[in-house]
Amino acid sequence: MTPFVKHALRGLLPAALLAMTLAANPARADDGVIRIGITLRMLVENGLKYGQMAKDEIEAVNATGGINGHKVEVTLLDDECKPDKGIANVNRFIHQQKVHIVMGSTCSSVSIPMVDITAKEEVPQIVPQSSSATVTKKGSAWVFRTAVSERFYAAVHAKYLAENVGKKVAYLYTTDSAGIGFARDYMSYMRNTYKIEPVYETQMQETDLDFRSHLLKIKSLNPEVLAIGGQLDAIARITQQSYEVGIPARVRRVAASAASNAPVPELLGDYAKGLTFAAAFVCTDERPVAQGFVKMVQTKYGVRCPDHDFSQSYETAQLVKLALSRAKLTLTDASLKDDRTAIRDALAGIKDYNGLASGPISFCADPTPQCRDGNRTGILVEYTKGGKDYDMRVLARVGFEPDFGL
Amino acid sequence: MNTLSGKLGAGAKVHPIIPWLAGLVALLALPLVMRNNYHQYVVNIICINIILAVGLNIVKGFAGQVTVGHVALAAIGAYSSAMLSSWLGFPFWIALPSAMLITGAAGILIGIPAFRLEGAYLALATLGLAESVRIIISGTESLGGAMGFESIPPPRFFGTVLDSHPAYFYIVMPAAWLAVFFSFAILRSDIGRAFKAIREDQLAAAASGVNVRKYKLIAFILSALYAGCAGSLKAHLAPGFLNPNDYTLTEMVTLLLMVVFGGLGHIWGGIIGAIMVTIINDLTQDYYQYRMVIFGSIIVLTVMYMPRGIGGVLDDFFIRRRFKVLRDKRAEASRAGGSNAA
Repeated sequence: MTPFVKHALRGLLPAALLAMTLAANPARADDGVIRIGITLRMLVENGLKYGQMAKDEIEAVNATGGINGHKVEVTLLDDECKPDKGIANVNRFIHQQKVHIVMGSTCSSVSIPMVDITAKEEVPQIVPQSSSATVTKKGSAWVFRTAVSERFYAAVHAKYLAENVGKKVAYLYTTDSAGIGFARDYMSYMRNTYKIEPVYETQMQETDLDFRSHLLKIKSLNPEVLAIGGQLDAIARITQQSYEVGIPARVRRVAASAASNAPVPELLGDYAKGLTFAAAFVCTDERPVAQGFVKMVQTKYGVRCPDHDFSQSYETAQLVKLALSRAKLTLTDASLKDDRTAIRDALAGIKDYNGLASGPISFCADPTPQCRDGNRTGILVEYTKGGKDYDMRVLARVGFEPDFGL
Repeated sequence: MNTLSGKLGAGAKVHPIIPWLAGLVALLALPLVMRNNYHQYVVNIICINIILAVGLNIVKGFAGQVTVGHVALAAIGAYSSAMLSSWLGFPFWIALPSAMLITGAAGILIGIPAFRLEGAYLALATLGLAESVRIIISGTESLGGAMGFESIPPPRFFGTVLDSHPAYFYIVMPAAWLAVFFSFAILRSDIGRAFKAIREDQLAAAASGVNVRKYKLIAFILSALYAGCAGSLKAHLAPGFLNPNDYTLTEMVTLLLMVVFGGLGHIWGGIIGAIMVTIINDLTQDYYQYRMVIFGSIIVLTVMYMPRGIGGVLDDFFIRRRFKVLRDKRAEASRAGGSNAA
């Protein structure tokens, strides 16, 4: 055997391994089951719990005979908030598992490329948590969103704070999608509505630990509002350090929606008091449907105060079940395309769904943000107490017209 | 197998390229045996990872330079290609080599610290550079910032848009094939021998007349060209989306795992590592809670029980086999000699 051939034969080993793997993992067959793929950011605070909750909620129908007699099978995957993983997951759902609908994702940077794939492959996608306006602005006929779009969120806190606190705003945010989206929309609202420029604006890395130098500059500029953008750990750090450098309590701290995550008030303790954020749901909501949900999450998943990541996962699962129950499905290999279209049309037909969201959720057929941003009600929330037994109150509840902010 | 090996061996005697071409032709048929487009997508990712791993092997395996900046080079290649095709309207076929050249130039920047630094210090310097690239991209709004660079056009070939996974295979697979071919060519050339000399002992190499600086820089540039190629191919893969979050330290560790698992300094090792790690990565998606534990365990077990990776194990197998053949031949010869004497 020549050395070259020896090398070439070595190359056959990985090829054989690859062939074995592919052969051992065949595409799904025609089995009369409704298949749903869920991809979320799971390995983060309560991610595993709200991911599992969405799966449990949908699969619960199997105990009572399924949806219109069809069993439901859910595949739940983690995308780690990484677009590459989300793209791989959605490719797997569509091409290998031949799912009828995709639910995901948590991060906008993952949902955005997913929209391109589901649009090309003509698979309905419902977005539970991503708030970037781009998700529905792409004009895909196959995408729906349960989460409140950032075009509404920005106005919720910007309008309230401008009218009730002040218009001198200093922005300190991290360079992740949550931080940039929050600050950009807030600044844009203030410019467009009040013609007011930021008192101070700077970006930091999401992994940065010390924000004091910027906060000292902000202190010297004497703003009325400190806008804090980022994920929960950055929000907690910046808020705490803003007090440490001596920015007075009368300066209102307003943060991105990640401030609704439980670790923020728990980490901040007394510093949490007065921190304001816009969200889609608050666990102190007194409506029976909300309290029933809170009790269910406490009992089954051990979370005292579920945030809007939980509520939006739950709500999306309910909307998926509703659409599936209304869609006329044949569930054969040949009907896969028609079944997907029927589910999309059933989702588009959902009007005035009243669930955990602060207002009704409505979709329609046009592939526009007006039709596909179903939840158009945001609430402004303020922490009234920090620590493990944190508490909060709703400052404002604002509903918007479908074309607001476009 | 022996017949196949014999025929390939005979072909190689006519011209060394013949077995390579035979391999290429065989691989061209791979989409025909794919069960679905997801498998094709995974194979495309494997091809891109092979180019990355083989490129990293040049600088790390052949030349012995400890770099953890390879994903940053891939990011530079990817974003360069995305900018050239999205902003300047360059066709993919021009954007790809242009991105490789830009990344090659970036390789010089990474290679210069290697003149004075070694081991952990060089790793730290390249790590800093890698993180800087990611942070700059994250903070640059025109590059999509943290949200990502969208709508990168897919390649076109005589008017046909190659945006499906099976069609894209006919771009990534030949690219991976060429990458491996050139890697062998480099390893067997004077440059490859200089790399190995530097890896074994820099002082001895310099004393023997090897221009250590020059060859270190060549290693980094070659490696960067590979990373630029892989980055560009990734950028144009459907749905044509890039995000700085896909070029973090985690991705670098995964890339290093491919090379270490396959076998440092073994070209086939890099290929095997890229295939195995990509497949393991895919198969463990369902067990997301334990995925990092699985990956960590593979690294620890590989270092403990296969320090030279799968490439080393295969080397041992072939060496043992060669000795066995020699031993059998000798035994046969001595038996024949004995019977003749009788």
